[in-house]
Amino acid sequence: MLGKGGKRKFDEHEDGLEGKVVSPTDGPSKVSYTLQRQTIFNISLMKLYNHRPLTEPSLQKTVLINNMLRRIQEELKQEGSLRPMFVTASQPADPLSDNFREAQPAFSHLASQPLLPTDFVSTTPLESCLTPASLLEDDTFCTSPTVQHDGPTKPPPPVLQPVKDSFSSALDEIEELCPAPTSAEAVAAETAADDSKDHPSESNVQKPEGLPESRTAESKLMDSLPGNFEITTSTGFLTDLTLDDILFADIDTSMYDFDPCTSATGAASKMAPVSADELLKTLAPYSSQPVTPNQPFKMDLTELDHIMEVLVGS
Amino acid sequence: FLGAGGGNDIQWCFSQVKGAVDDDVAEADIISTVEFNHSGELLATGDKGGRVVIFQQEQENKTQSHSRGEYNVYSTFQSHEPEFDYLKSLEIEEKINKIRWLPQKNAAQFLLSTNDKTIKLWKISERDKRPEGYNLKEEDGRYRDPTTVTTLRVPVFRPMDLMVEASPRRIFANAHTYHINSISINSDYETYLSADDLRINLWHLEITDRSFNIVDIKPANMEELTEVITAAEFHPNSCNTFVYSSSKGTIRLCDMRASALCDRHSKLFEEPEDPSNRSFFSEIISSISDVKFSHSGRYMMTRDYLSVKIWDLNMENRPVETYQVHEYLRSKLCSLYENDCIFDKFECCWNGSDRQVFLLYIIVMTGSYNNFFRMFDRNTKRDITLEASRENNKPRTVLKPRKVCASGKRKKDEISVDSLDFNKKILHTAWHPKENIIAVATTNNLYIFQDKMN
Repeated sequence: MLGKGGKRKFDEHEDGLEGKVVSPTDGPSKVSYTLQRQTIFNISLMKLYNHRPLTEPSLQKTVLINNMLRRIQEELKQEGSLRPMFVTASQPADPLSDNFREAQPAFSHLASQPLLPTDFVSTTPLESCLTPASLLEDDTFCTSPTVQHDGPTKPPPPVLQPVKDSFSSALDEIEELCPAPTSAEAVAAETAADDSKDHPSESNVQKPEGLPESRTAESKLMDSLPGNFEITTSTGFLTDLTLDDILFADIDTSMYDFDPCTSATGAASKMAPVSADELLKTLAPYSSQPVTPNQPFKMDLTELDHIMEVLVGS
Repeated sequence: FLGAGGGNDIQWCFSQVKGAVDDDVAEADIISTVEFNHSGELLATGDKGGRVVIFQQEQENKTQSHSRGEYNVYSTFQSHEPEFDYLKSLEIEEKINKIRWLPQKNAAQFLLSTNDKTIKLWKISERDKRPEGYNLKEEDGRYRDPTTVTTLRVPVFRPMDLMVEASPRRIFANAHTYHINSISINSDYETYLSADDLRINLWHLEITDRSFNIVDIKPANMEELTEVITAAEFHPNSCNTFVYSSSKGTIRLCDMRASALCDRHSKLFEEPEDPSNRSFFSEIISSISDVKFSHSGRYMMTRDYLSVKIWDLNMENRPVETYQVHEYLRSKLCSLYENDCIFDKFECCWNGSDRQVFLLYIIVMTGSYNNFFRMFDRNTKRDITLEASRENNKPRTVLKPRKVCASGKRKKDEISVDSLDFNKKILHTAWHPKENIIAVATTNNLYIFQDKMN
């Protein structure tokens, strides 16, 4: 838990790293501030999706984590690499969904910085009070091993039905930036989020065409907070998550046995084309748009439901 | 820290420990609340398995004048069962969040116990006599053949072994969409409030099918939710006044006479943030986990992650005193955020009411990690750290104060921050209303300490 880092010798500098805010304008500590912020951001995201599925998560905890994420995002926006933000009338009132689309440049900016696992490792002796180095290295974030095991690696988030145009185009943008696979949980949440955005007044009552069993996991995710609070606000952060190679680059897929696919070993990126192709073959009857192997990432809602059903059933 | 001997300094000694010995903690045994009744004779605990265990203090033995009576099990009952919310496909935990005693009015005792959704009024009564000598029934209950009855007699009550029975007298259900975090009985002893994350309801103890909503902070658009209610309590003397605390570190005092829905506070207590301590976690550590009025009603105490604050009800802009519980954790907040410890809800309590009224001394107590608990003496401004562990369990031996070494060279007998056990947390403590007896709950054990009587 605590204290996995080496013993610190210079106690007077200890406070500067973790307990107190380090102004982003400080020279050498700017990186550490950004690093810390990114770490906290990632941890916060993991927390939102790692609650016990049986009981309702604590609303207080969720609210505090969401506030943390919002604050970090605000800060990133103010740090300026953004187009001006505007809320479109056609979109359901969700300032955060606009934020994430606008915020992409900021996050891609960050992603293009050398904030990769190797960098984390090299700076951890200084940052050992933040998070134990082993956790950053392993990309497991000890509190949430289930995120990687629960969901199988999949091709990046499927684009949903043409009805949800702006969301689809946003996802397209992300996919261009980062074709890394993400967890099915995150995908399911996005699906659920979109459902809930279109039906803000209903919880899990209205379902698009899809299989009932697949809905259970999604509706649990969707209703982890009353009023779809969690999912709609965290939608904004999910896309940032998909940009984040650090979290999902090294997912161990050996535990994932997806029936239509041959099981794969090694890096998730190697697996993606194989599974996507297999997936498409099995889901051909469901697809409403032509899908080619070159675009393995676009699937519609029913295919996603089918995947969820398989996952929940397995 | 509190020195030995002299004046008002208390020397705490181990008295008893209740609960399983082994380190393997069954989840159902995790203690979730501790509360003395108004006389201090009874001590109730609630656990994660939905059970309530009540201990009763032995009447003082004249021959054992050097110690106060021991607490022994008086009654155990299953207060709440796990339920399933079919609409949301989620379990409702049976964990007892709070127990509050009613003042005793007759031979029976009454308490309110609550889980996340339902509050129950329990009657605990003793039976030490039973009727014997029925005409139509044998002693074992079998019915006699009426034709064999030749004489009649009047049944009489005869003594029997004491039996303590708990029965649910009222069930207050279906009034909370969110998780109940507090219940508080009003000084009129007729009404009580229950608070969840977004709403506070007012009940009459006799009426279970309706309650009045007196606070509602749910936004029209849940996406705008940034603050929740964390605790609420009625004023000990003014039956129209209550306070509730929030996850942003504010306390609102409301007067029910002002309007039916007390969404507008009469007073708002908030301390401005110290800019030198600002961090990513400032909001989270400012979230108030407990609020308790002093017995006089003039002050209230709040607990946030790192400190205990005493507020004067007449001063809203800052507390009158702040005590640091474990300031050495400030540099560990990121790790504590990651392992969720930063969300731990520590409670706090005042020392006994009688002593406070006479102003002999006022002490506040709260828990920490590594099975440590802390006390702060308001008059002397001194503090002490003690440990609840079975290793200290020699009765009448004074507990040794503990010290945590934040950084630098660790002195002998000090414990370094990195070797603290964050799984051993003391969240619940209670102070006997009249005596210097305290109950301290570790994960699954209940420790009772008392001061050394000379």
